[in-house]
Amino acid sequence: MNVTRKHVLAALASLPALTRCAGLSPSIRVGSKNFTESFVIAEIYAQALEKAGFTVMRRFNLGSTQIALAAMQRGDIDLYPEYTGTALIDVLHLAPMQNPHALYSTVSREFAKRYDFVWLKPSPMNDSQALATTKQIAAREKIETLSDLAPKASSLRLATIQEFLARADGLPGLQRVYGGFHFADVRTYDIALKYNALLGGKADVASAFTTDGAIATDDLVILRDDRHLWPPYNVAPVVRRQTLGSHANIAIVLDGVSPRITDIAAQRMNAAVESAHKDPADVASAFLAGKPF
Amino acid sequence: MWPDLAAHALAHLGLAGSAMLVALAIGLPAGAFAGIFGPVRNVALALASVGRTLPSLAVLMLLLPLLGVGATPAIVALALLAIPPIVIAVDLGIRGVPAGVLDAAAGMGMTATGRFFRVIAPLALPVSFSGVRTAAIETIASATLATFIGAGGLGDDIVRGLQTNDPTILLAGAATVALLALAVELALGTVARRLEART
Repeated sequence: MNVTRKHVLAALASLPALTRCAGLSPSIRVGSKNFTESFVIAEIYAQALEKAGFTVMRRFNLGSTQIALAAMQRGDIDLYPEYTGTALIDVLHLAPMQNPHALYSTVSREFAKRYDFVWLKPSPMNDSQALATTKQIAAREKIETLSDLAPKASSLRLATIQEFLARADGLPGLQRVYGGFHFADVRTYDIALKYNALLGGKADVASAFTTDGAIATDDLVILRDDRHLWPPYNVAPVVRRQTLGSHANIAIVLDGVSPRITDIAAQRMNAAVESAHKDPADVASAFLAGKPF
Repeated sequence: MWPDLAAHALAHLGLAGSAMLVALAIGLPAGAFAGIFGPVRNVALALASVGRTLPSLAVLMLLLPLLGVGATPAIVALALLAIPPIVIAVDLGIRGVPAGVLDAAAGMGMTATGRFFRVIAPLALPVSFSGVRTAAIETIASATLATFIGAGGLGDDIVRGLQTNDPTILLAGAATVALLALAVELALGTVARRLEART
């Protein structure tokens, strides 16, 4: 009887190991927002975790920041890539700050306090918001900086997305910090189609992200944010503390990958997906293997 | 927000209305030919059936290389969506005209043209009109997709609500679309009852 009980106990104790072997361990659910870079970086996180032996479930294309955040709070996803600047302004509604380290510690502290989410190590990549135009229009209108553009906006057309019109660090922020910025015409597009409007002559200026693949491939110019409206936007994995508690290795794995994601790497990966129409999963696996993509 | 909503509703109706005009201009004659000429009918109905299954969003994206972004491709995509139900209903309406009535008209010495405009068209109208109603409602609902290619409309509000997690503006946009569809449905329903009462 005693022996049997011992066996049962031993069997029970080994259950977690058994289920892991059978691939039944609770999988890590990785989320992403609805744009190329978020897909690619989430895919990098997912594949790095898979290489380390985790079972990963992908829950990509979660609309906006707010939707990804809601999914985290409900426990529908365990982690997703988020940007420090977006977290500061769009989620925490705090005043912009320019120092990337101070910004990172602020969002880490506030996310821990408000949501019980942990910010893992950030990447050097800074995907700032920006306004972009074509080289021809920049030369014709003599605009290099956002200050140059502010008073001239009233004769120009903007192609953007709805989020940019509503976010405090979008058009309202430009108007607040620079004055002006009353575009003659504002039209919103699907996030992937803003540049079609700009390159197709339907707009003169497009809202952009500095690591967009199109910047490099389509000869666009980013107008310099000379009055520092936009904080740094370094990307980092944001993880539910509960998940980290039971899978502490997640931090070790992702902290090993994040330093490799630089501006250039991000631009090239985005271009590989958007211009060369490669699959984000293939691009991510080439990146992790150190191969060209 | 509210003045925007009104402007977006007007733009929305503009897109749906323009698309309906295009769809009527193509769908009514196409449906009539299909109803009258057997060989045309098979082709037209096959095309219409395929057309109905194409997702409008896919049509928008497929039109991109041809027509770019803006209102024109949105109207073309919506018209493509609206044409099939019109063609199908017009064909159905025409084929529903009793053969005896047509024989009587021919016996009275009416020409083919006269038969079409004075006998077939009025009798086929109520059924045909039901297709127009369906097309109009589908067009109003689908015009929300125009926002993705910079053509505006109430989709702007829905997408803004989604992107900024603002359920108020999302619901305002969605409810306005529903109200527009309902209003058009009621108006066209009244027209349909008059048409039926007349025949």
